[in-house]
Amino acid sequence: MTTLIAKTVSKACVPIIILFSISLLLAGHNYPGGGFIGGVMFASAISLLYIVFGLKYIDSLYRYRWDKWFAAGLMLATLTGIGAMVFRYNFLRSTYLTVSLPLLGDIKLISTTLFDLGVYLVVTGSLLFVFKTMGEDE
Amino acid sequence: MDIIQHVPIIMIALPVFFAAFTILFRSKSGLQKALNVGVFALLFILSLRLLFYVWDNGILVYEVGEWGKYGILLVADLLGAGMVVLSSLISLMAMIYATDYMDRKALDATFFPLFNLMAAGLNGIFLTGDIFNMFVFFEILVLSSCGLIVLTGRGDHTKMADKLEAIFKYLILNIVSITLMLVAIASLYATVGTLNMADIAVKVAYLAEAGTLPWHFHVIAMTLIVVFGYKAAMFPLHFWLADVHPSAPAPIHAMLSGMVIKVGVYGILRVHYLIFNETMFMLQPILILLSLITIAVGATSAIGQYDLKRMLAYSSVSQIGYVLLGVGMGTAYALTAAIVYLVNHAVAKSMLFLATGETLYHAGTKDIRKMGGFAKSSPFLGSIFLIGAMSIAGLPPTGGFFSKLVLFDAGLSSEYYVPVAIALIFAIFTLFYLFRTWLAIFWGEIKDTDKADAYAGRNPTVAIKVALAFLACVVIYMGVYPEHLLSLSGTIAEQLLDPQPYITAVLERSVR
Repeated sequence: MTTLIAKTVSKACVPIIILFSISLLLAGHNYPGGGFIGGVMFASAISLLYIVFGLKYIDSLYRYRWDKWFAAGLMLATLTGIGAMVFRYNFLRSTYLTVSLPLLGDIKLISTTLFDLGVYLVVTGSLLFVFKTMGEDE
Repeated sequence: MDIIQHVPIIMIALPVFFAAFTILFRSKSGLQKALNVGVFALLFILSLRLLFYVWDNGILVYEVGEWGKYGILLVADLLGAGMVVLSSLISLMAMIYATDYMDRKALDATFFPLFNLMAAGLNGIFLTGDIFNMFVFFEILVLSSCGLIVLTGRGDHTKMADKLEAIFKYLILNIVSITLMLVAIASLYATVGTLNMADIAVKVAYLAEAGTLPWHFHVIAMTLIVVFGYKAAMFPLHFWLADVHPSAPAPIHAMLSGMVIKVGVYGILRVHYLIFNETMFMLQPILILLSLITIAVGATSAIGQYDLKRMLAYSSVSQIGYVLLGVGMGTAYALTAAIVYLVNHAVAKSMLFLATGETLYHAGTKDIRKMGGFAKSSPFLGSIFLIGAMSIAGLPPTGGFFSKLVLFDAGLSSEYYVPVAIALIFAIFTLFYLFRTWLAIFWGEIKDTDKADAYAGRNPTVAIKVALAFLACVVIYMGVYPEHLLSLSGTIAEQLLDPQPYITAVLERSVR
């Protein structure tokens, strides 16, 4: 799959897909999207890189341990739940804080975003871990 | 809010957190061992606290995320909390045992994360008040146990190809059964429009009172019997167990046969006695018939086996038949007997499997015909194995004696003479094959005299001895003081037959 066209197109596409996946992650609380969808999209962008440039080339640049992403995400998601218990609420109780920023206006910071970020990392990590392990197996 | 009221979610969240945590520190086995034993000891203590709290203060309902009236609930009633204590006890002992038993490679790879997830899945099934969440926890349990079966331990003489074949069967059959469960839950949801089990029970009672209970309600009940019967290895669905369970390393084998097949029984007790009251009159004769066939098939298959682990796996099939017999008879006394049997079998069988793993390591083979005279080279294993065999066969002073006594007494008092007679005959089969095995392995002279020196070098380590001795103490305790377990099980059985307190606790709670 390492044709010039594929390489050029994916160089242009991958940053856009990643940005879109992050926007899906952040929109998830009120609009369609969320950690799972965003994570799948991020994983598909990275797997596009793996397919187009080859596993060995990407690994020679930087060897990612996707299982660590998975673990970090799961820990983050669980800690979000446990964090609510520290404030004497039930597990996974969410809260929000409205802050006013110049130029951007009022922004709601919602604690569920942390949970969604955890899901995002879990999905990304597990999909890419499976994908990469399957790919390395010759 | 007191910390004790958070225990239901801690029982699930803590193992999930440590599943992630242990992935990050995979290569440090020493740290992992201490940490995980600590975590499981903490879970065991918390589960005991939870049981005492529920015993004193009634059913504990926990809202995850405080979503209001229709959120996801965890409900710790006596049955749920009791099962959590049982699973925490066995997983703590299996974990202590596994730290010395499992290969270094398995410990460094995926053992700790998957074992934590398995514990989370078990606790989740026992504590959830929502039938769809129960399905989700079933999935967690199945996937994590698949990963655990491939790992290897030191007394594990199964070839990797056999393990993979076993997992393939386990996975495919579980996907089929779990899809059936999903279909059943979807049709239940389409019928009553809720997934909360207490709410379903109330709505079904309204429908039954108005006489508008749709006919497919009975089909849903049957489908769920198939799903839970598959999990519990009931007769037509028992064939996978003897391939899958013996392929697992000993601690996982103990967890699978000790706790994971009890999940099916728990499902019938929880879902059918809460929701499907209207259908139980149809299901009870079927359950009794199938449980009797299960007893017979399991016991006769066990007699012909020379592979120690396979023989004990068939013995599990036979023993789960006794539990299902009590569940099928359905009176308060019979349910008490079923729960007592379930607890005794879980503890004694997991102890027997842990002892078996060590015996196989000691022998260097899994063929009973090549073993003999181990009472000399390892008296400790011999006595532990004897206590386990006595409990499974139902001899005093072990807990197994009372479980069989109460079960047969319950059957006679409800005038189920023929089922009790059949069960009694196959109880003698159990006595025969277990003691024949014990005599063959531990009595007599050492058959392979060349290996006599090798036997002496392969003895259980301290951690393994501690786990086995603790479980043996529990077995003896349940035989000497059976009244504690009997009174607890009696209360559980009353709560099962009269689910009104459960429903009231779930639906009429104050919402913050």
